[in-house]
Amino acid sequence: MGSLSASLNIAAQSLDAEQTAIQTTTNNIANVNTPGYSREVANFEDNPPVEIGNLTLGSGVDISQVTSLRDAVLDLRVNQETQQQGALNSLVSSGQQIQSLFNETSGAGLQAPLTAFFNSLSALSANPSDPSTRQAVLTAAQNLASAFNQTSNNLTQIQQGEDLSVTQSVSQINTLTSQLAAVNVQVVAATGAGQNSGPLVDQQQQLLNQLSNLIDVSSINAGNGSLTLTTSSGAPLVVGGQSFQLTTQANPTTGFQDVYSQGTDITTAITGGELAGEIQTRDQQIPSILSSLDSLASTLATAVNTQNAQGYDLNGNAGGNIFVPPPAGGVGAAASLAVAITDPSLIAASGGPAPGSAGDNTNANALLAIQNQTIDNGQTPLNAYSNLVFQIGNQVSTAQSNQNSGSLVLQQLQNLQAGVSGVDINEESANLIRFQSAYTASAQISGIIDTLLQTTIDMVPVTA
Amino acid sequence: MSIRLNPDPLPDLLASIQQSEQNMNTASQQLSSGQSVNELSDDPAAAASVVLNHSQTSQDDQYLQNINTLQPGFQIADSSLNDVVTALTQALSLGTEGANGTLNDADRQAIAVQVQGIQSQLVSLANATSQGAYLFSGTAVATQPFTLNSTTGAVTYNGNTGVNSVQISNGNSIQTNVPGSQLFLNPNGNVFTAIQDLNTALQNNSNIGAAVTEIQNALNTVTTQRVFYGNALNQINSTEDFLNQDTVNLSTQENSLIGANLADAATNLAQAQTDEQATLNAAGRILSLPNLLTYLPPP
Repeated sequence: MGSLSASLNIAAQSLDAEQTAIQTTTNNIANVNTPGYSREVANFEDNPPVEIGNLTLGSGVDISQVTSLRDAVLDLRVNQETQQQGALNSLVSSGQQIQSLFNETSGAGLQAPLTAFFNSLSALSANPSDPSTRQAVLTAAQNLASAFNQTSNNLTQIQQGEDLSVTQSVSQINTLTSQLAAVNVQVVAATGAGQNSGPLVDQQQQLLNQLSNLIDVSSINAGNGSLTLTTSSGAPLVVGGQSFQLTTQANPTTGFQDVYSQGTDITTAITGGELAGEIQTRDQQIPSILSSLDSLASTLATAVNTQNAQGYDLNGNAGGNIFVPPPAGGVGAAASLAVAITDPSLIAASGGPAPGSAGDNTNANALLAIQNQTIDNGQTPLNAYSNLVFQIGNQVSTAQSNQNSGSLVLQQLQNLQAGVSGVDINEESANLIRFQSAYTASAQISGIIDTLLQTTIDMVPVTA
Repeated sequence: MSIRLNPDPLPDLLASIQQSEQNMNTASQQLSSGQSVNELSDDPAAAASVVLNHSQTSQDDQYLQNINTLQPGFQIADSSLNDVVTALTQALSLGTEGANGTLNDADRQAIAVQVQGIQSQLVSLANATSQGAYLFSGTAVATQPFTLNSTTGAVTYNGNTGVNSVQISNGNSIQTNVPGSQLFLNPNGNVFTAIQDLNTALQNNSNIGAAVTEIQNALNTVTTQRVFYGNALNQINSTEDFLNQDTVNLSTQENSLIGANLADAATNLAQAQTDEQATLNAAGRILSLPNLLTYLPPP
């Protein structure tokens, strides 16, 4: 047989439970715009029934726990995609700076000074003894050297900018891993004490997502709620409450900052996030372009010098160097390309030493012919340059199209993630109405039971 | 039950606003630059081809300048040789006149004086210059090619036998000179020997007929050699036409590589503007939608 006092108890428990549910709903609404927040639900559970005689009676409701709604698989996919996007964003951004140096469609780049140099030799061929035509050759050579110097220097500046970004990214990564280690400790404590760790997990995931934008990070749940983070190559970042700081150290050869983890150089093992993009631009893309420019500058300068030495200058002497000989191996040739002479009569246009053959243009024609010789890795100077332009444009174009498709995937994943975890005001409002009605009902039931109890009490006659 | 959607419409709205803004930006950039390829990454292959295209345009321009440099020399050489032909023709008729047996010594002397005048005229023509450079001294353009010994009447060649050739279009070079020795001291008809022999023959009244034959040979030789300069002028004229046409072709090619279709770009811009307005309109409506709380009765 049931009892009024049991009913009153149930009504009181119900008031408690609805209050908790209302608080959860209110908290959800309050955090509707909080980044990384996952909506929480109060899990109602009916209390274990009581058996009274041959009756089994319900014993009210309780909130068993408040849980945050997350989908671990979606979280993982979002982080993986974020790592790729981070690297691509960095590559596209630096690629745009690089390609603007070679923007032949707007007249920038090396084609104009390169062609102008050969054109000046063509003009020399048509008028080999004219002083102003000779001076024009030196001017064109000077312009070509300056163009190589400037392009090379601008590339080096972009490279130095990327180097600075590497150091900044490492510092951000260290800040985030320290924060995550601290949150790990809190999660373990909360889990151990049986508390709701949802909000702390939100923080963990938010930090993990920020880290994913910077570096290829993989995470393993240690079982107690603590996240163990490593790079994809296995360098430790966070273990429990301890974060392992990355350090940078200047590379003795390049002078750029290498990334170290626990004394090991992991620079080339970083495959995701902005850090990977910065390292790729700094250590691969720009050096490759610089090396192509060096090759072009040094083979061209060497070919021109060699040919000039085959001819005779305006004074009938054998020709010397027009360009300062490039460094052996060509490294740094573009940055250091310079014209060796200031006297235009020293250009060896003539093919014969005979006095009075100032008007001979045999060697001027031979110098001009370098334009169509495959001097640079089997290519003419212009074709080599044109190929370089294609490669630079193609790298940016590929990165951009990957960035575009990746960002659509990421957006889709984030939508799915928010579909699970995002707060919907309408849904919360509907819940609120539900909890409010239940609360009101329970309160009224309490009043009714009070009346019933009064009725019961009134059954006993009052003795004066 | 349907799948739970992202309750926040903002990220999708922002993404589509960004997309339509980017489309507007692309279209207006194409309109303002007139180019569909504004960065290498827009079309790397076209950008690489434009490198070659621009270089060829610039080279063609240089070839045209070379032609302008060469043309006056060819014209002066051609006209000088024309004058040489005229002078030799005159010498020929003087020689024929001198061979007439009815003339006395004084008459022949008078003719000889005229022949001497032609001789110095020929030396002067053979020393023709263009822009300070001697045209008939081979490649020794700074050296006066012919000097006349006024005592002996002998003419010496001081130039060389060098010839230059200059590129006037891709893979096409033109020889720019004929050495003076080949023009005036040719074994088939030596101009200066012939004129000096005629002078001597007139003065001595001997072998005038032979001297006239020499003049005839010299005249034939110069006339033959002169064709070179006429041909050269024709060649540079036709090459000039070719280069002008090539420049037009290159410009057409450039346009097809990187030029924007302005009508398309204008349409795209209008389309992007419409998209943008539609997106903003939709965003405005979605973001200002009331939620359930709006409809709850006040407590």
